[in-house]
Amino acid sequence: MGPLKLDPQKALDETLRFNQKLAAGLKTLREMNDVDFGATAKEEIYREDKLVLYRFKGESKPTAKIPTLIVYALVNRPYMTDLQSDRSLVKHLLALGEDVYLIDWGYPDLSDRYLTLDDYINGYIRRCVDVVAKRHNVSKINLLGICQGGAFSLCFAAIYPGKINKLIAMVTPVDFHTPDNMLSHWTRGMDADLFVDTLGNVPADLMNWCYLTLKPVRLFQQKYVGLVDILDDKTEMENFLRMEKWIFDSPDQAGEAFRQFIKDFYQGNKLVKGGLKIGDKEVNLRNITMPVLNIFAEQDHLVPPTASRPLKDHIGTSDYTELAFKGGHIGIYVSGRAQREVPSAIHEWLGRA
Amino acid sequence: MSDGKSTQDWMKDWQALQKQYWNAWSDATRAAAMQPPDPSTPWHEGLEQWARLFGDPARQNDTADRLLSSARSYVSLMQSMLSAAAGNRLADAPAQAWSEAMRGGFNMPGMDAMLRDNPMAKMLRDMRGPGLQGFDQLSATFAPFLAQAQKEGMAWLHAPAYGYAREHQEHYQKMAAAFIEYQDAVARYNALMLKSSQRSFEIFEDKLAARAEPGRQIDSLRVLYDLWVDAAEEAYGEIALSDEFRKVYGDVVNAQMRVRSQIQQEVERIGVDLGMPTRSELNSVHKRMHDLRRALKDREEQGDGDDLRREVEKLRAEVAALQRAQVKPVSAAPPAPKAAKAAKGK
Repeated sequence: MGPLKLDPQKALDETLRFNQKLAAGLKTLREMNDVDFGATAKEEIYREDKLVLYRFKGESKPTAKIPTLIVYALVNRPYMTDLQSDRSLVKHLLALGEDVYLIDWGYPDLSDRYLTLDDYINGYIRRCVDVVAKRHNVSKINLLGICQGGAFSLCFAAIYPGKINKLIAMVTPVDFHTPDNMLSHWTRGMDADLFVDTLGNVPADLMNWCYLTLKPVRLFQQKYVGLVDILDDKTEMENFLRMEKWIFDSPDQAGEAFRQFIKDFYQGNKLVKGGLKIGDKEVNLRNITMPVLNIFAEQDHLVPPTASRPLKDHIGTSDYTELAFKGGHIGIYVSGRAQREVPSAIHEWLGRA
Repeated sequence: MSDGKSTQDWMKDWQALQKQYWNAWSDATRAAAMQPPDPSTPWHEGLEQWARLFGDPARQNDTADRLLSSARSYVSLMQSMLSAAAGNRLADAPAQAWSEAMRGGFNMPGMDAMLRDNPMAKMLRDMRGPGLQGFDQLSATFAPFLAQAQKEGMAWLHAPAYGYAREHQEHYQKMAAAFIEYQDAVARYNALMLKSSQRSFEIFEDKLAARAEPGRQIDSLRVLYDLWVDAAEEAYGEIALSDEFRKVYGDVVNAQMRVRSQIQQEVERIGVDLGMPTRSELNSVHKRMHDLRRALKDREEQGDGDDLRREVEKLRAEVAALQRAQVKPVSAAPPAPKAAKAAKGK
């Protein structure tokens, strides 16, 4: 017996249905307006160069005594944390009583190409942490680092442990040399100096192309074939387009920061091997003595769980908690499961004595 | 349809299905007044005609482009599989025969012969966005020049430069060498993609074979397509995580950067000749601006620190004065008249 039991007439009908949906939906797609994003009101607290520090405003006053600052990656826009009303980590945290701040890095241009990780971590993040702490008259705040922003937050907490009350690392790469880390594997043969010296800033298109090629058939073809199924559903289409907007609305990368990130993190794996310096400050993860919550996604193809899990072996705290989320790198913010599980887990953990 | 059908009968059935396809497609796009083409026309052609009719390049958005491009590939694959199924030639055929039919679906008429049997390379070429298209065009422009260089045995690339234009000659030699190195790296990359494509069909066959049991058979084109996607990603993952790929990937990136760098130097030289501002000059300005910004920030923070230190010193002085004032009544020295008076009054 063969593996296929295709009835030609049924198969033809299936193909025709596909064509009909496409014909009806593609016209609608062309007529749809661009989507909006960002569900929660926010106020600007501090501004420096292209960076803006925001405080989110919930429907009721925060009950948390200690504010939480979200440090997002440089490679994507931070509105993923507050994409739309029913897909918002921020909104849920506010509803639970947390006081949430976020750093928006902006879009670096060529005038920012000499920004280093020293500027980002010892400069921008430190000043934002100080601004938030001063506003709340506290000496320490909570830090929630996401992806590359999580790696930055680990560096920051190791350099300035006295400024951090509790640290949350979300989909954060720690060990960059695990065998399943495709992105890291590819960067190892790259001449980062030649790359940055030639390009200056690293163009967003190039970064996006690199991410898509991690799973080219799934991300470049199957996803759009599947789109035909929802072409007649306006809400689903808006959700899809909003996500497309986020995926491709990427900032260029400041050259010098990119150079160090590739050489010291991806190639040198210094976060776990040691020897990492940010500016003139050494990063020793053993200095992280505050409570740590490590959240990672089990189906993450960008930051495999094996890259995040080793955090517990390298930090100095004994107060370590892990949350393995059933989903991917993006699903951890936007899936229905994420809305139910992630904000409440963070809130509960922050509230622990 | 039965196993005993002649080739002629099968052709008739298939033509009937093709005709049905085009009639239905024509009905669906009646507003565009499309006439059904010859039934043997590849089905994805319908999408292309229709896209041309409805397409307004000024309003074409990226998602629509990607959707259409994916739909073309999908429909072409479906036609290939349906053609096989309609003839019933493969009703009891093993997985390998279906895999061959799928392979045929990727080789769309009119496609670049270099991409034949290599759907992964085709996929990656289709993916190239604005950032890489420009570079590809540049490579195409240089292709005849490089072909000539290769014809001449490449000897001139290493010939010593001399005379008034020696610097220019040396630069062009380096640029040509960089292009050739890049082409070589890309060829090695494409060879790995071909390997990935071949492996994807092997995995696809294994996955199909696992579905041969009753109750697990595939009865939908979409399920079949999704199974191939799983196989393709699995094969690509194996290749992309290999040491060989890591080396080749690095070589492609590095070689492309060397080409870009040589071109930048040439553009810079032309810019200088024409009195235009250059990239190096801008870099220099940006670097100085960055250093100044850092120095300014340090000074500001240093200033804040001085203020804090002054405030702390002032507070310390006040605390010390208060302590001294409290300590005085219990000191060994004779009480001051005012303090003695106060004590008497108690």
